[in-house]
Amino acid sequence: MRTAGRAAKSHAAPLAGLLLAAALPVWGAPITFNTALPVQKGGWVLREQFVLNKNADDPGPANRDMRVSGLVSVLGYGMTRDFALFGVLPYLDRKLDLNAAGQRVKRSDEGIGDLTLIGRYTAYTADGRGRTVRIAPFLGVKAPTGRDNARDSRGALPNEVQPGSGSWDFLGGVVATYQTLDYQVDAQLAYKANREANGFRFGNVGGLDVSLQYRLWPQELGGGLPAFLYGVLEANLVRAEKNRSGGIKDPDSGGTALFLSPGLQYVTRKWILEAGVQIPVAQDLNGTALKNDYVFTAGFRINF
Amino acid sequence: MTGIWRGTLLALVGALISASAFAAQAYKLRVDGLACPFCAYGVEKQLKAVQGVEKVDVDLKTGNVTVTVVEGAVFDEATAKKAVTDAGFTLRGFEKIPGPETGK
Repeated sequence: MRTAGRAAKSHAAPLAGLLLAAALPVWGAPITFNTALPVQKGGWVLREQFVLNKNADDPGPANRDMRVSGLVSVLGYGMTRDFALFGVLPYLDRKLDLNAAGQRVKRSDEGIGDLTLIGRYTAYTADGRGRTVRIAPFLGVKAPTGRDNARDSRGALPNEVQPGSGSWDFLGGVVATYQTLDYQVDAQLAYKANREANGFRFGNVGGLDVSLQYRLWPQELGGGLPAFLYGVLEANLVRAEKNRSGGIKDPDSGGTALFLSPGLQYVTRKWILEAGVQIPVAQDLNGTALKNDYVFTAGFRINF
Repeated sequence: MTGIWRGTLLALVGALISASAFAAQAYKLRVDGLACPFCAYGVEKQLKAVQGVEKVDVDLKTGNVTVTVVEGAVFDEATAKKAVTDAGFTLRGFEKIPGPETGK
């Protein structure tokens, strides 16, 4: 059983490139990362996002085609004015097609993934009329709630196809927000330390994200509480270290990628509709790590 | 007979509505940090949770929040500040809006 698992992992290891887009969860308020804006004390924010991550630019002969789609649910709760807790739970369908032993092979699994819990503390606030500045560090832990021993007729599925990683991982960072009535800028620095499970460890991942949300409509702000239409442009720089299998670094995993992400948000007092697409503009990946084609995200948020 | 009852009922309802309108007291709060509609929901919800608060109107452009409370309800600056703070924002101003009839 162990042998079958290792064999599967060895040909799946080059897939680590897809982690560049998927390793940092989308838990907060620009489209692709978090915000430092408050969650009211005793209040809840629910975010549901459909995510489609396509990776088919394979430099190797396996001609791998990896598609990850599913829903990412984020529930935020304001414990105090300054401290909010977020829970992130994905339900993902992972499909991998590749050439192996002279034929096209399909391997897939779907299910609930790993639960991530994040605590965010607003350490700095400066409010003015129609504007605010916030800085909020955060810490989180990813629990191995997703299945990590899924198999098909060929044996154990590769790690990247499993719904869960099997490991307890830790993440932390800081997010800053400058918001005015006309636009909002968010920036986030985050790092995720992955740990070993089943003899395999995904490489640690660091990310730098920036988001600009500009009010397109209404052009002139009237009285009351009008809905806003924001045009969104985000940039995500992601650096993933090499995976380790049996303690040995996989030379065909990890690397650096830069994504640009245009999108739209329609914001009301009670809910937000949003959609965006992460387009890789530069990818410097190790060996034959699989490149990312795009990540499409669409969803909504509700205040209650 | 039915007409008399209906007329009496309407008169009572009218009197109650009228009394309610005259009894309501409004306050103007200046809230800093409000810059998008989604954030304003928290301020509305915290203020509406205060006993006696009937209505909350947010004007995003000015940062002014008008709070209408029933007569007799306790709504002072400390109460307003706690609600706004719990929503994650900053209370910068608090004033009672004089009622047109009572001059209060």
